[in-house]
Formats: sequence, structure tokens, C-alpha cells
Amino acid sequence: MSASSSATPSAAQVRSLFRSLQRVARNFPDYNIREYVKRRTVDAFRENATLSDPSSISSAFSHGESQLALLKRQALVYSLYTPSLRSVMELQQPPF
Amino acid sequence: MQACYKTIVCVGWSRKSLPSLRSSRFRICAVQAQPETVQKVCDIVRKQLALPPESELTPDTKFSALGADSLDTVEIVMGLEEEFGITVEEDGSQNISTVQEAADLIEKLVQDKTAPS
Repeated sequence: MSASSSATPSAAQVRSLFRSLQRVARNFPDYNIREYVKRRTVDAFRENATLSDPSSISSAFSHGESQLALLKRQALVYSLYTPSLRSVMELQQPPF
Repeated sequence: MQACYKTIVCVGWSRKSLPSLRSSRFRICAVQAQPETVQKVCDIVRKQLALPPESELTPDTKFSALGADSLDTVEIVMGLEEEFGITVEEDGSQNISTVQEAADLIEKLVQDKTAPS
């Protein structure tokens, strides 16, 4: 994927960024962060869906890419310090 | 004392006895997706697009006809990836526009995953 911030990203690139963001969410061991990343990407992409100005589109796209790089780094860091207890939302059977 | 009891043979008839609100008719020669797969795909699509339960959802319904834009389609594909444990490539997801296509792609990927040759 060529990250050219000068040219307007195509729809396919935007979709690909969306998919990458959703995929990187899976690498987090923390349930809360996973859900938040998924929610936040959906909200952000929906909010910016109606942009028509090329410069704002490319700035939003580059912001998304920087967030993706950040998430990749943080997924690594979080996986180093995984707590042993899982979140209660992840339990298959509720305890009560 | 002999107790005569009827045994219900439901092996080959399970498909027919499902409440087929959604799947009307399967073209057996062309389709390779199983009904359970199609059913799961339908459920995920319903949940994603927040469709009311009584709305019509056949395997040939286009997602765009249900009011889904491209972002919804990508989300549906991601939901299917998580549900079935598969990975859909970039170009594979571009062609998915109906429930049946999604189910066929899932079946193919599941088969490729379980029997790599």
C-alpha cells in the first residue's frame, strides 16, 4: 500500500485502511481495547463518510494511517504485559 | 410385552423441516454452501444492518438493497471472518454483494483451511 499523502486516497485504499484497523484490534489481549478500537473506527469512518474536499479526505486518511501505526505498536506492548485474568465479558458462561 | 414405538426418521428431511422464511429454493448443482452457513451469514447481516426480524432476507438479496453502503459490507465481511475464523483477501471481499456469495466464499475458505494440499 503506497502511503502517498499528497494524492487523494481511493475508495479501495480507504476500505483497506478500515480493514487493517479492524484486524489490528484483534491483536489486543484486552477486551475493552478491542471493542473500543472497533467502535471507534466505525464511528470515525461513518462520520467522515460524507467528506468531499480532497485535502480533508487525505488528511483524515493520513490520520487514520498514523493511528494504525500507533495501534500496531501498542498491541505489541500490551501483549507483553497481559494480565492473567480475563474480562468478565469474555467468559463463555456467566458466573451467575 | 412388546412396545411398538415409532421411530422418526429425520435424517434426510431436516433441510425441509427448517422454517424456510429465507431460503426458498436451492439450486443444488450450482450452490456449494450449506444451509447452516447461509443461516449464520443471514444472522450476521441482520445484526449488522439492524434489520427487523420480519424483514425478508433471501440468499440472493443484495446488501445494497438492504440499505448497506460499502462500509457496512466491509463490516459484514469482518464479522464473518471472526465468526468462521477465516481470512478474506482484499479482492475476495470486493465481489461479495449477496448472502449467497458470502456463504460460498466462506465454504471455500473453510475447505481450503481444513484440507491444505
